[in-house]
Amino acid sequence: MTLYEKIKSIHPNLTDNDFITVIRLQNDSDGKGDYIAKWEHPTLPRPTAEELA
Amino acid sequence: MASIITATTTSGLTQSADNSGVLQLASGTGNLVTVPSVTGTAMVSGNMPTFSYWSTGSQAINASVTAKITYTNSEWDTSGGMYSSSRFTPTIAGYYQVNAATCITATGNSYTIISKNGSDFKRGLQPQASVNFVTYPAHALVYCNGSTDYIEIYFSNNGGTNQSTIGGSSLTYFQAILVRAE
Repeated sequence: MTLYEKIKSIHPNLTDNDFITVIRLQNDSDGKGDYIAKWEHPTLPRPTAEELA
Repeated sequence: MASIITATTTSGLTQSADNSGVLQLASGTGNLVTVPSVTGTAMVSGNMPTFSYWSTGSQAINASVTAKITYTNSEWDTSGGMYSSSRFTPTIAGYYQVNAATCITATGNSYTIISKNGSDFKRGLQPQASVNFVTYPAHALVYCNGSTDYIEIYFSNNGGTNQSTIGGSSLTYFQAILVRAE
């Protein structure tokens, strides 16, 4: 399951537009994988590391 | 009028001077350069670094992820080590023309990013397409301070599905050249 899919399972109401405007998932191609680079959603909380594990 | 220093074919180096305050350099009889009355660095090919790298294979980018694109093959690189690990950190302050393109099957609001110091500087978007693959170009003039500023290329895959880039020297590439020193 990708990071995007995990976040969508935690917050099903998130839209694809949210991932363009207020949330940014990033991969710096350094072997560390995808991570949340920005979370500025006005109402939904940023998922915890435990939720994403 | 001008003060002129000439490299002649008969008398070696000659000079003629006046009080115009204008300096010109000449080779032979016809090639004349007026030295501008400005402060700056004269640009010649040797101090104008340039490179062109391209991506060979496919690079997976998950849905809704913005990923740094890696380039491993060089078409040319006169930067003397300013390019490393798909990051350009110029050691000459000035304005750089940057060209990049990413070929991928992503659709939606996907785009190539010219990133400066880890932040989006300029984006190159394409309208939503329903073809097998699309090339997303991005172009910008980027000022770099010659010490800490760096440029990378990212791609934001907002097509809703996991995708992979398509490598090729004409498809997925990263180029830059110094066009004006500070």
